[in-house]
Amino acid sequence: MKTEISRRRFLQGTAALTVVSVSAAAAMLIEKKHKSKMDAYGLTKTQWSDRLQEIPTLCEMCVNKCAAIARVEEGVLTKLDPNPLFPKSRNMLCARGNAGIQALDDPDRLKYPLIRVGERGEGKFQRVTWDEAYEHIKEKMVKILDEEKDNRSTVGFCAGEGMAEHTYASFMKEKIGSANFVNHSSICLATTIAGYTLTLGGYGQADLENAEYVIMAGANRAEAIVTPDTMDIFKRSRGRGAKLIVIDPRFTNTAAHADTWLPIEVGTDLAFVLALTYVAITEERYNKRFAKENMSDFEAYKKHIIDHHYTPEWAEKITGIKAAEIYTIARDFMAHAPRSIYYQGRRTAWSQQDYQLRRAQAIFSAMGGGIDKKGGIVFGKKLPLGEHAIVGPSYDNAKERIEKDKAAVVGASGSWIAWRNTIIDGTAPYPIRAFFAYKQNPMLSVPNTNKTRAMLEKMDLIVVIDTMPSDTVMMADVVLPESVYLEREDPVKTFGGSEPSIALRKKVVEAKHDTKPVIEIMRGLGEKLSKPLFEISKKYDETLQEEIADRGEKVVYKEDGYDLADGYRHSQETINHHMVTSVYGEEAWKTLREKGVFYPDMEKYFKQKSVNEYQYYPEHKRHYSVIEGDLVNDEPYHDTCVDTEEIAVLKKDFRTATKKIACALYNLEKKKGIDAMPTWREALYKPTPKGKFKFITGRHAQFTQSGTSNNALLLDLLPDNHLWINKHIAEERGIGLGDEVEVKSSIGAIRIKAYPTEKIAENVLFFAHGFGADSSELTLAHHRGANDNLIIEDNYEKSFGSAAMHETIVEIRRA
Amino acid sequence: MARYGMALDYKNCINCKACESACKEENGILLGADKHRIWVGVREIEGVFPNLSIGSSSFQPSQCQQCDNAPCQEVCPTNATYYDENGVVRVNPDQCILCTYCMQACPYDARYIDDRTVTVDKCNFCSDTRLSEGKTTTACQATCPTKVRTFGDLDDPESAISKLLRDREHYTLKTHLGTKPKLFYLT
Amino acid sequence: MNLSKVLPYRKQTVKSFFSFEFTALNIFMFWLTIGLVTAMFWGIGAYLVEGHHAYGVTRQHAWGLLIAMYVFFVVSSTGLCIMSSLGHVFNIKAFQIIGKRAIIGAIITILTGFAVIAFEIGHPVRMVIYNVLTPGLTSAIWWMGTLYGLYLFFIILEFFFLNNENHKYSKIFGLAGLVVGLAAHSNLGAVFGFLVARPIANGVFFPLYFILSAMVTGSYLLFLIYGWRYKMNFPPEVQKFMVTLAQVLGLLLAILIFFEIWRALTAIYGDMPERGDIARHMISSKNFLIGEVLLGMLIPFVIIVLSRGRAIKLMVYASITGMVGIFWMRYDLVHDTQLAPMLPLKIREYMAAPGLVEYTPTSVEWMIAIGAIGLAFMMYYAADKFFDLDHRIH
Repeated sequence: MKTEISRRRFLQGTAALTVVSVSAAAAMLIEKKHKSKMDAYGLTKTQWSDRLQEIPTLCEMCVNKCAAIARVEEGVLTKLDPNPLFPKSRNMLCARGNAGIQALDDPDRLKYPLIRVGERGEGKFQRVTWDEAYEHIKEKMVKILDEEKDNRSTVGFCAGEGMAEHTYASFMKEKIGSANFVNHSSICLATTIAGYTLTLGGYGQADLENAEYVIMAGANRAEAIVTPDTMDIFKRSRGRGAKLIVIDPRFTNTAAHADTWLPIEVGTDLAFVLALTYVAITEERYNKRFAKENMSDFEAYKKHIIDHHYTPEWAEKITGIKAAEIYTIARDFMAHAPRSIYYQGRRTAWSQQDYQLRRAQAIFSAMGGGIDKKGGIVFGKKLPLGEHAIVGPSYDNAKERIEKDKAAVVGASGSWIAWRNTIIDGTAPYPIRAFFAYKQNPMLSVPNTNKTRAMLEKMDLIVVIDTMPSDTVMMADVVLPESVYLEREDPVKTFGGSEPSIALRKKVVEAKHDTKPVIEIMRGLGEKLSKPLFEISKKYDETLQEEIADRGEKVVYKEDGYDLADGYRHSQETINHHMVTSVYGEEAWKTLREKGVFYPDMEKYFKQKSVNEYQYYPEHKRHYSVIEGDLVNDEPYHDTCVDTEEIAVLKKDFRTATKKIACALYNLEKKKGIDAMPTWREALYKPTPKGKFKFITGRHAQFTQSGTSNNALLLDLLPDNHLWINKHIAEERGIGLGDEVEVKSSIGAIRIKAYPTEKIAENVLFFAHGFGADSSELTLAHHRGANDNLIIEDNYEKSFGSAAMHETIVEIRRA
Repeated sequence: MARYGMALDYKNCINCKACESACKEENGILLGADKHRIWVGVREIEGVFPNLSIGSSSFQPSQCQQCDNAPCQEVCPTNATYYDENGVVRVNPDQCILCTYCMQACPYDARYIDDRTVTVDKCNFCSDTRLSEGKTTTACQATCPTKVRTFGDLDDPESAISKLLRDREHYTLKTHLGTKPKLFYLT
Repeated sequence: MNLSKVLPYRKQTVKSFFSFEFTALNIFMFWLTIGLVTAMFWGIGAYLVEGHHAYGVTRQHAWGLLIAMYVFFVVSSTGLCIMSSLGHVFNIKAFQIIGKRAIIGAIITILTGFAVIAFEIGHPVRMVIYNVLTPGLTSAIWWMGTLYGLYLFFIILEFFFLNNENHKYSKIFGLAGLVVGLAAHSNLGAVFGFLVARPIANGVFFPLYFILSAMVTGSYLLFLIYGWRYKMNFPPEVQKFMVTLAQVLGLLLAILIFFEIWRALTAIYGDMPERGDIARHMISSKNFLIGEVLLGMLIPFVIIVLSRGRAIKLMVYASITGMVGIFWMRYDLVHDTQLAPMLPLKIREYMAAPGLVEYTPTSVEWMIAIGAIGLAFMMYYAADKFFDLDHRIH
């Protein structure tokens, strides 16, 4: 259909004259012969045929899950439009969302199961049937688990973020029984989640629709789009309701919308926040009643800050931000409180001190009172869904995670770097022999690509489930092709916040190739593996042997979850139907399938406010303040700067251990050695030597990491990544725009084109993450731009094992 | 019968290029650096690090200005470029001889050559792909994350665009050329 | 019907057609012509395969070398027409000998110009159709194209009657050709002059300048045509004509230089954006200083002034540099008009803000453009074989 459309259009233009016109003949030849690499990726024009369907779905071009309406004509997806009904995405679809069609149509997609035939990493595969692929996995798994005496944790697995992540992770964790799971968390948002959750009782949502003063430090919402934050803040920045302070060594597109932009020395944000706190405390500019009622150990924290002399003058020397600016920001922040936010940030894997930085931010925000409050950080509500239970056997011999002692607190989603390094440095208590990857590309996404390769090379079995032949896929023994998001229904999802809703990713078109959604892959694998693995457990698992003796093999097999496929037998649609109807009834299910979005009273609340804007909930129905509490009335009220209603103090039961905002966490200090209160640790800070640079990485609005690296439309907008380098430094070294330079760190070197600009500090270098794929099967992405993880050192912070990506010192030279 | 225009609240723009990609997907525009109907222009920031002038840096989403007095239409030797019944400046590819005079005459660099029809192509406010099907927005407006764009009928005093233009200060590009653009930048 | 009665011509056999005197110059010209025509067809072949992608033209610089070359040829044609009309339309005695040879030159150059533009316009056949079906009456290109068509028709008739010694009709059609040619040609100037978007081109200058520079071009070409015809052994009446021609050319060059000076001064004065900056860039370019000024104007002008027009043999050689200069005038006209970017903002992250628009013709463009000169030579050779182009003394 695609070629037919372009052909039809083409013929409209020239058919009449081809016979007689020499140049029209030339035009024909252009059509046939002159095709650059990119021209092969034609886009479809809307034709509006009679057989047009509009199907609601959710985007998967990044993590946001914006609601889209797919226009399908005669079975061909021709356009993705925004679905205005979804409160989270607010009637929008970004460049990547629009480019979803290219993800579906990409000629390089994984089209059928593959088994490696060449050397590992060589990229030689053979097409097999699904059953042959499962069979291959079974043989290897049986051998490994038999040799490892049923230690299920010898099978490691990783996953990227996604709606089907849980389907896969539950299978690997509960059914296969491995503790060794790593996901994006420790190379993304582990520290900020931990910091905010331990301090406030939740990560919350920055209410940027109502905030009046926002500090965004390092977060780049114009280029690393997060919905609804991106839409909410930039409609109100630049003197239109919200003051935006951007702290970043780069002048990002977010900074372009700031009232104040302050470049900061990389890795020193904690000093900046501590100094803000110092000003607020010493000048007594904070919400005293809120602090009294709702913050635990606040007096101790005050003392801690003052005793350490975290003055703006002290911070100036570390951060490079002038003390006067720090005073102004602290005062302005508190003047706008509680409608002021120190923005939490998302990918916060920056430095060794990142967790304490997030704690300090959360406490500083709380001092303004803007927690669980309109215009501050709100927790909102989440609409419940029915349950889909998975019964997992308990395996006696499955051991604990291998890297559990490599950081103070290693959660269930692990520490990617520590885990990987434990495998290759020989300190693991037992070997990891098989590795399953779903929707993650650790070859490009985890710092130090060479170590990831070394880890993969140790495996007896690598199974990768993905849609594209990524660098990780190239290392696989078995490749299981997943259907692209537009070809599958995913688990229904509930989205919390002040305006909660439930949304559904529905299948838009039939699978183009021999691919499957994850649930079907788990079903197939489960059916193939159940019996043989059960036999192994029977051999080594004493508890199982006893149970069988007690209750009989058939009963135990069935009731204790040894049938690995049992949670995945129903279709996703059936499961979703159950999860929705069991709580909201059939009508809700119908709405959800037709509209893609459901929330109670949607038909009543949802209104179009203007050509561009919609109301999802009326103001008074929004869930800004949700935490229960008692109004405290025992003191006369003196504050005159804000209206009383606004900061009427509730003594709230926050969801922390003390039910208060936790200024100090003594337990963690006692048991795990993590500072109870945010403290600047000079020893953990790595200054930049003169003449060298600190390398930082980040996102781009037209590129979602390596996942979109082969997307023709997006590459049209951003053909590759360039190295941001300060213009004067570049001039000194004779580096001009587009010149190739070598960037070298202690672990490796890359070559990349230079982008000299005034928009970056003199001792900092940056380029966008996700480029530089090595996979030769990615026609467009192959060796396009540079891979940052070839130079980013594999440092991680020792509290939660989160990567510290902004501590690598690099040198450059003209290539 | 309408007189379509577009108001751009350009200070909302974050240069995410959702509009450009939506346009390409909606209208089947070929990929390639020079082949775009719409774009986001970036005014490079002035100053020397760290003293950069935030005010000097801005994003300017743009496209064909749908001039009421369009130089491209005036210079077309075969009337391939015409005003449709809604005042939208459009190209009839069957009549275009590809002399590219219109590309010389356009003060906004809004025209390019479509390699498939081998004729000049330009923004037509999605007239054939959306408006003809009863949609009331262009692809670029619908998709915009920060809602920069308001498309509508300038002749209808009740339309959102008419109200915006009454209430908000705005300017047009290269006004002095007398092209009477129907793309309005809200300040 | 016997064609030779309607249009008297010399009968040729294949052998007689290809026979010429084997002088070094003739042999050189023979191979030059073969080489140029081969280049042109080679270039056309590449164009038929690659289309406009074979050219260096871009979105920002949509008009390239072929437009310049088209202008070069049609200016030559108009110039020859104007100069020849001085004799047989306006009865200026010294110019009366040039009639037929100049008119055939005008026909040949405009045909060559059309041949070149056919490979620049995307759909020339469609142009012919819709020029008639849906005429764009506000378009300078429409007027230029239509009037040039009419002009070609008139000068062919003029040649026809000249060839038939019918001086009444040749004069009528000569006058018609001149008037329509002037209209067409000033419209060609207006194609650029009407561009409100481009302050460097916009205004009255080009329509006037085109007529003036056409006359200069026509004069250069007459020197070359007669130099070639008589191989520098000029009969007395030709010698007399050429001295007069040189003196007229001197005057025309003086006016042209005067025009150029004031154009540059008014463009630079006040430094208006997209005008002052472009003009300064323009007049400091090598194309302008060496091509236009030195070769196109100064060398011939100095020779004329110093010899008071009598160095006619030297003027034949100076006309070669003159025509090279004229070529650069056409090239710069097209290029400079497009120098200022219409969108001065960058639209991709890793690019510099757009500066002056750059354009380099590809080899294919050069082959077609310069090769077309060979096409003109070939047509002239044929015309010289078939027709008696020499004047008769009345």
